[in-house]
Amino acid sequence: MAFSDDRPIFLELADAIAADVLAGLYPEESQVPSTTELATHYRINPATAGKALNRLVDAGIVYKKRGLGMFVAAGAPEALRRERRSELHTHYIAPLLTEARRLGLTTADVVDLITKDQS
Amino acid sequence: MTPSATETSGIRIQQLHKSYGSLEVLSGLNLTLAPGHIYGLVGPNGAGKTTLMSTICNHTFHSGGTILIDGEDPAENAAVLQRTCFIHEDQPYNDAFSVASILKVMPNFYPDWDEALAQRLVSRFRVPVERRARKLSRGQKSAFAIVISLASRAAYTFLDEPYLGLDPTAREIFYEELLTDFGTHPRTVVMSTHLIDEAADLMEEVVVLHEGEIVLQADVDAARSSAFVARGLADEVRAFALDREILSERSLGRILSATIRGQVTADDEDKAAANRISIEPVSLQDLIAALGIHTLTSALTTENR
Repeated sequence: MAFSDDRPIFLELADAIAADVLAGLYPEESQVPSTTELATHYRINPATAGKALNRLVDAGIVYKKRGLGMFVAAGAPEALRRERRSELHTHYIAPLLTEARRLGLTTADVVDLITKDQS
Repeated sequence: MTPSATETSGIRIQQLHKSYGSLEVLSGLNLTLAPGHIYGLVGPNGAGKTTLMSTICNHTFHSGGTILIDGEDPAENAAVLQRTCFIHEDQPYNDAFSVASILKVMPNFYPDWDEALAQRLVSRFRVPVERRARKLSRGQKSAFAIVISLASRAAYTFLDEPYLGLDPTAREIFYEELLTDFGTHPRTVVMSTHLIDEAADLMEEVVVLHEGEIVLQADVDAARSSAFVARGLADEVRAFALDREILSERSLGRILSATIRGQVTADDEDKAAANRISIEPVSLQDLIAALGIHTLTSALTTENR
């Protein structure tokens, strides 16, 4: 993963770990990398890596086992899936319709394209 | 790790002055460095970066003001100074000494010296240990300075443009070793650098030095969100930025990119979208250049034209 300049790194890193949880790369109750492992791997400041993990703790996606490290919370993949579904409109559908309008296409045209894609 | 007698409480600098004859390099500088943080020290050539680090570590005497390391004055104070490590970018090594012989005496200066780490770094960087230190190439000198700095495990480690002459592979090794060792042995690292964007991810805070004074000390993310770039047709960008402070401008034909101080609001985004203006984040390097501080950047841009 390369970081873009668009957003603070800790947000991008938190999203990347969440995406890995959602994809099942880190199953429920499995350990996620430590602050130092993340910092060394991505060549980032350990405090930045720590901020990313804390964000996931606050969101209930990972939790801390004292002295052992960070683990994926039970039900985290399902919670992430629910969250992503509710964001499908803002992140994908709204920009798609904006672009379609710019190209002179109506919503019905877009629906047609999607239906055609599926058949 | 040897437990140190004094609690690590950081570095506090107040009203620091340093002159070389009639040339004033540091003019009443105030700076606080917390323990266990990685700081990037940036600023144009001649801003006083090396002088500042050298003065903190008592390699040169200051002309006025106070420096406290863990609450104590480092001047002629061996107990404090062995908690600091600073290898000059152009360290004048004695002609008689080989790399190996210098490494051998290091534990006498640094009580927390890690010999195994030193050996691993020497072999990873391929520093020729039999060679006289003075005869090392630019890149080998930098690598040798990194070996000493990291293996010293000094609570306050100062790195003066550590990447000079290092090839990309060696720079990667440096970043990796720094972060790995920092993970197990947290300490204060102050690194002066011109490669701002390359090193930005490593820093927790950036300290900008300009003409002997600190003009910015901020969390890297906070600094980067303190301005943004608006790009579009010149007139529309100017209208968009009417009541804002434009830090710098670059134009390409009818298109203008303006670096604007402040954060992007939802209102800004709507206004920009309606006026064919794109809003982009500012890189740390561009921000520092835009603040009118980083003259090196503009010099490089001119060269590349």
